Amino acid sequence: MKLKQYLPPARNLIIAVPWFWLALFFLLPFLFVLKISLSEPILAQPPYLDLIREIEDGFVTIVVNFSNYQLLLEDSLYLSALLGSLKVATVSTLLCLLIGYPMAYAIARSPSHWRLPLLMLIILPFWTSFLIRIYAWIGILKGNGLLNNLLMGLGLIDSPLEIMHTPLAVYIGVVYNYLPFVVLPLYATLIRLDLTLLEAAADLGCRPWKQFLLITLPLSMPGVLAGAMLVFIPVMGEFVIPDLLGGPDTLMLGKLMWIEFFNNKDWPLASSLAALLLVALILPFVLLRHFERRAEEAAA
Amino acid sequence: MNRRLPLLITILLFGYAFLYIPIVSLIVYSFNESRLVTVWGGFSTKWYGELLNNGPLLSAAWLSVRIAALTATLAVILGTLAALALVRFRRFRGRGSLEVMVTAPLVMPEVIIGLSLLLLFVAMETVIGWPAGRGMTTIVIAHTTFAMAYVTVVVQSRLAHMDLSLEEAALDLGARPIKVFFAITLPIIAPSLIAGWLLAFTLSLDDLVVASFVSGPGSTTLPMVVYSSVRLGVSPEINALATIIVGLVTLAVLIAGWVLWRQEKRNQLDAH
Amino acid sequence: MKKMFNGIKYLLPALMLSGAAASSAEELHVYNWSDYIAEDTIAQFEQQTGIKVVYDVYDSNEVLEAKLLAGRSGYDLAFPTARPFADRHIKAGLYQPLDKSKLSNLGNLDPVIMASLADIDADNKHLVPYMWGTTGIGYNVNKVREILGDDMPLDTWRLVFDPEIVAKLAECGVSLMDDPTEVFVAARAYKGLPTDDFSKSAINEAADTISAIRPHIRYFHSSQYINDLANGDLCVAHGYSGDVLQARDRAAEAGNGVEVAYAVPSEGAVVWTDVMVVPADAPNPAAAHQFIDFLLKPEVIAPITNYVAYANANTAATDLVDEEIRNDAGIYPPEQTREKLIVLKTPSEREMRDMNRTWTRVKTGQ
Repeated sequence: MKLKQYLPPARNLIIAVPWFWLALFFLLPFLFVLKISLSEPILAQPPYLDLIREIEDGFVTIVVNFSNYQLLLEDSLYLSALLGSLKVATVSTLLCLLIGYPMAYAIARSPSHWRLPLLMLIILPFWTSFLIRIYAWIGILKGNGLLNNLLMGLGLIDSPLEIMHTPLAVYIGVVYNYLPFVVLPLYATLIRLDLTLLEAAADLGCRPWKQFLLITLPLSMPGVLAGAMLVFIPVMGEFVIPDLLGGPDTLMLGKLMWIEFFNNKDWPLASSLAALLLVALILPFVLLRHFERRAEEAAA
Repeated sequence: MNRRLPLLITILLFGYAFLYIPIVSLIVYSFNESRLVTVWGGFSTKWYGELLNNGPLLSAAWLSVRIAALTATLAVILGTLAALALVRFRRFRGRGSLEVMVTAPLVMPEVIIGLSLLLLFVAMETVIGWPAGRGMTTIVIAHTTFAMAYVTVVVQSRLAHMDLSLEEAALDLGARPIKVFFAITLPIIAPSLIAGWLLAFTLSLDDLVVASFVSGPGSTTLPMVVYSSVRLGVSPEINALATIIVGLVTLAVLIAGWVLWRQEKRNQLDAH
Repeated sequence: MKKMFNGIKYLLPALMLSGAAASSAEELHVYNWSDYIAEDTIAQFEQQTGIKVVYDVYDSNEVLEAKLLAGRSGYDLAFPTARPFADRHIKAGLYQPLDKSKLSNLGNLDPVIMASLADIDADNKHLVPYMWGTTGIGYNVNKVREILGDDMPLDTWRLVFDPEIVAKLAECGVSLMDDPTEVFVAARAYKGLPTDDFSKSAINEAADTISAIRPHIRYFHSSQYINDLANGDLCVAHGYSGDVLQARDRAAEAGNGVEVAYAVPSEGAVVWTDVMVVPADAPNPAAAHQFIDFLLKPEVIAPITNYVAYANANTAATDLVDEEIRNDAGIYPPEQTREKLIVLKTPSEREMRDMNRTWTRVKTGQ
């Protein structure tokens, strides 16, 4: 009982534990990355110069170097990588929505005792190793793989389709992996759709497709946005799928960071790329979450 | 709706086919006598035998499962605490920074998370001697840090939509807040905790990039082994492993479904 | 639930302690290339010395380098390629000098190879050569003959750099390594230009050569070609000698009718040496020395050569190597080929960075 006096109140603990964990294992490492981004590469261990150059007579000389950021903004290579990532992220998000929306809609409108099993079927693949499934796609898509052998066997094509190591393979891989992230939020929104609104519109003579455009789609927007964000943002920084399925001409930011870090051993440049990317991605995301929660609280 | 039914069903079937074709191909070829995908050499279970003899692959798989279980548990604890703080406490010092820190791992590319944590661990080892070398501990810490962000999102949305009247009633009846949490809140949010645990487990089990950065001697995870196999030439042992994983997951889902179904029936009977 | 949560809090420290306890038993942490040791070498060492070996693998020098540069990698022994990696690492102070008194079998090593390493490692203080090989061209014999005819000499860089020839081979599949140094040097050798010039103009010349055939290249990868050659999915690959020969053996084993061969291009090919090093912060350098000495024994290194199809640097072991491997020109090249082999010069930091940026541009077709 006496111990309780010395323990901080529960409320403070609840805030403090996650806060300190994140501060130590997320914020501090990120500050390291920022520090390195302001340095220069050298041949040593670790391969960058310390910012504190000299401590003499009470004077501390710190050298801060912004040339990495300058290089990123000037060199067209990084702009190409950014555009590459944007393109892949946008196309994949649209494809995911195109495939995921009808699926979520179909499940939401199916008989209630079917819904949970159908959802489980969507999530089940997600629980088997993602790398192994990508490897399965390689076996299907490659020149000498299942798809080409099937198409040639059926006589539909003469020579193998080259899908591996092209942007198409990357899109297939990304959509395959991120589809559940779109279907689930969409399902959650669509299931709350008030069907009486649609009935009322039908009574008033509104055609089904118009009902969809004017009622269903706008009301499901929060789900669409949530799903889109859950695909777009991670795909911007995605490394493994473009690395295994893509060709050398799909240059994305994740791969570029990898190259700068491992091949160039230019940790400062890789770090500045990381810092810029994080700032670019996190601002809209935090804003979106903020407004999302405001809307949820207002509705509740 | 009736007119659109066939279209919707077609789309659903196409979607499921897309999701399951690779998995089916994995299972089918795990029983292929030939090593190649293109040649069907006859039915054989020899790859399962080779899998059992493949020490590195099996120990990597076991290591990954242990790391994932630890990560998921830690992530659920930390994520729930963070969600509670953000939903229930209106204003507190550090709220803004907590919000940002909890969302940022969702946005950070894995390469950055891996790189930054590697630097942190090296610095920590130099200054205070812990963690002593990179290995299972560092991987668990790294995975927990980004997994808790996902758990927070899941639990947060459930907490935000929760009906507070039950809790208020309990408090009115004199129960202390901690008791209210464990007796009332926790059971209500339990589904989202389980969903969060499963999500964190999967994220950890699948992670390649972060683990590559923060792993050390003797701590090769399953994704790392599979990745280098894909580049050097895969053996159908991986198919066998995948089939086993699919089998276990399906079994787990069926059992969970059966348990839930039984509970539903019992609830219905109770209601009468 | 509460008890479960509490229990977990004690698990983390227990984990840390268990890690510490394990390292008190004598352990050796080795970091090597994948598929670069025979199947029973480690077991034999463990039996003879009682030291437990923790053996991890990597598939690129860059990954090893990043771990070494970050510091405190935890490894006692690593196997980088001498040029340019070990060269750079010695300058960066990443290795500890070896205690030669513990390496009684050093005398078995080929003095020519030792001399060739001396200019990057004075007095051979840090490096012990392990295996060496060349980087040339691997090809699917039947398919290439079919496309190019029987008269065309196949030991030439023209197979990958001559636009006319590559265009014909493109549909069948041509790949280059994902290594700027190797590919730029090969391009310059093809053009007959000096291969130790890494200046910007020299690299741009090489880049132009590659850009000319870039549309016909299926992919750039430093290890995927092994599988693809063996399966018949690829016709011509720029690759390491031993890797191509491993593909040859895999195809023969699978009995799929694919015949793979390796050729050292007559215009000149890179010869490289993989070396054993002990990182400066290795936890157990004594055990590392024991393992190095173990690997210097002819009866240990010869089976490794037999298994991985690379030549070792141990003259005493040559007699113990399988005859068909000893006589394989791809593994032990004859004198006249050896004269044309290129020893890489290490580019400067600046040159390396420019090369990498140019390489990224060339690969993405910009």
